[in-house]
Amino acid sequence: MSNFMNLIWNEQIKLYAKKGTWVMFAVLLALALGGGLITKFFGTESDFKEYGDDWQTELQAENEELTAEMENDEFAGFVNEMVIAENNYHLENNIKPLPYDGWEYVLENSFLTSVISLFTIIVAAGIISNEFKWDTIKLLLIRPISRSKILLSKYVSVLIFAFTLLVFLLASSWIVGAILFGLNGLNPMVVQDMMPGYVQNDVLGEIVKSYGFGLVTLVMMATFAFMISAIFRSSGMAIGLAIFLMMAGNAIVAFLSQYEWSKYILFANTNLKQYMNGMEPPIPGMSLTFSIIVLAVYFVIFMAAAWAAFTKRDVAGN
Amino acid sequence: MSKPAMQLVNLKKTIGNKPIIKGLDFEIRAGEVFGFLGPNGAGKTTTIRMMVGLIDITEGDVLIEGKSIKTDFKGAIQHVGAIVENPEMYPFLSGWKNLKQYARMVEGVTDERIKEVVSLVGLEKAIHEKAGRYSLGMRQRLGIAQALLHGPSILILDEPTNGLDPSGIREIRKYIRNLAEKENVAVIVSSHLLTEIELMCDRIGVIKNGELIAIEEVKTAENKEGLKEVYIEVEPMETAKAYLDTHLDNEIGVGGKELSMSVKREEIPHILKSLMEQGISIYGVRVLQATLEDKFFDLIGENTIE
Ligand SMILES: Nc1ncnc2c1ncn2[C@@H]1O[C@H](COP(=O)(O)OP(=O)(O)OP(=O)(O)O)[C@@H](O)[C@H]1O
Ligand SMILES: [Mg+2]
Repeated sequence: MSNFMNLIWNEQIKLYAKKGTWVMFAVLLALALGGGLITKFFGTESDFKEYGDDWQTELQAENEELTAEMENDEFAGFVNEMVIAENNYHLENNIKPLPYDGWEYVLENSFLTSVISLFTIIVAAGIISNEFKWDTIKLLLIRPISRSKILLSKYVSVLIFAFTLLVFLLASSWIVGAILFGLNGLNPMVVQDMMPGYVQNDVLGEIVKSYGFGLVTLVMMATFAFMISAIFRSSGMAIGLAIFLMMAGNAIVAFLSQYEWSKYILFANTNLKQYMNGMEPPIPGMSLTFSIIVLAVYFVIFMAAAWAAFTKRDVAGN
Repeated sequence: MSKPAMQLVNLKKTIGNKPIIKGLDFEIRAGEVFGFLGPNGAGKTTTIRMMVGLIDITEGDVLIEGKSIKTDFKGAIQHVGAIVENPEMYPFLSGWKNLKQYARMVEGVTDERIKEVVSLVGLEKAIHEKAGRYSLGMRQRLGIAQALLHGPSILILDEPTNGLDPSGIREIRKYIRNLAEKENVAVIVSSHLLTEIELMCDRIGVIKNGELIAIEEVKTAENKEGLKEVYIEVEPMETAKAYLDTHLDNEIGVGGKELSMSVKREEIPHILKSLMEQGISIYGVRVLQATLEDKFFDLIGENTIE
């Protein structure tokens, strides 16, 4: 076991000895900071508004103002309607609106998990193929350690890296958000537009959910890139293929959705959010359980293929 | 005779349909330096890759300290330290950190041990520099250090002198001899240059086109004929030749300013002394030590890569 920890330690050292890895962290920090500044200085005014004790009257006045504005200016329509709908939700359910805060900023930044996916794919794609590129693979594999164990240590290292990026994103978003917007307590309630309708939830639960959904795609695509890297021993191919599929996944599913079997496509199942809030599945016959099973099957296939390629094949010169 | 450290049993490798290694059978004993000699493409590296489990064995087996590399990989490989072709290191890590990587993969390699090995290969000064900045010779030394870390009983070095300067080669040679004699390590050294390894090897196995075509004890090979080709630059030439013709049984050849003859080693001082006593000036003496080399060329013939 200590042996296995050492292998992971080795992988982390190799990873962080490279500048590119630090660039990834810098990019995430820049995105968290930049996003915060943009929201702060270009955000919708009403979001930041602090309401007093008489907030119901304030909201009603606001609604009237917005309605009037819509009559004069046809372009104000869409945004104003949304604000009005949200205000009405607050009024109907007797929820006092809270100003935008750091927690909400963290929640909004969950879309950056796709950037983490991208970085994780790059690392997963390189972690095996680089050893072949540098030709260090032969020194790595002539130790009294099975190839399976080395492969597993590399895979676990990729997951640890993804997790580190995630913690870093959460922490930097939270700090940026807290500084720029303040915090409405330790775990405030947030009202979100769930299209259709608004829902109020506690923010920590929502953060866990939305980042968690992002992780599904991340893990699947990283595992895919890892497999390609093990089979073809080329990081370029693994990165290219994984990123292309990640980007084009939804389009592929949409394009093929007329066919029954399209529900078995990986990308039709990576977005587990589609089953929340009682939404209809995109393709009939799909359900949360169905998707989880499909994902599990893909995962096992990816890992088995990576394992077979890495443990069985000759390591000869090129 | 001690039990073999490594044993090759009818070892074969076929890639695609092409037989690359066609049945190797030999053993390497503890405490000996075994030279694995063959022209480019003979199959040295392929054989070594099979010895360390980097590639599958098509047929036959490699037994290391009695353990099969096929069925007991860990049991077998733990006794082995190796360089396979060029020892490539992580270019972005220092030499020291490269060694730490490998130290972490086995039990019981302390920092003290790493330092010891580093000083053995003479890399103390550069050890904290990035390996990417190392010269070929320095990489070769780091490669040897990496192979020695865990104190293996079998050391496999694929062309270890590749890229080393003459003094580097001499050091490595001395060190390899030392390992074999003092620590009873079995060392396998591959090369395509006889002159580079004949000085450090006890035995040399010659491989060509995937087949072992000869195994020679180095010392007996040198002594078998006992005769050495000696060239002496003399003046005046005619007087010297006439004198030697009458006083030696051997045939005396003339080439340029030199006389040549095949004589026993112990005869050389005697011949020189008598020539000087005849008032003949001697400008130079060359002794050709080519017996093994000749044999090598006889054995492998033209170096045709198939
Ligand atoms: N992966 C491979 N696929 C096909 N043929 C191969 C492969 N690897 C090696 N060979 C062939 O096997 C033969 C032996 O190659 P090997 O590298 O073992 O030679 P070598 O004795 O180490 O030569 P050198 O002195 O040049 O290092 C060569 O003819 C080579 O073309
Ligand atoms: Mg070779």
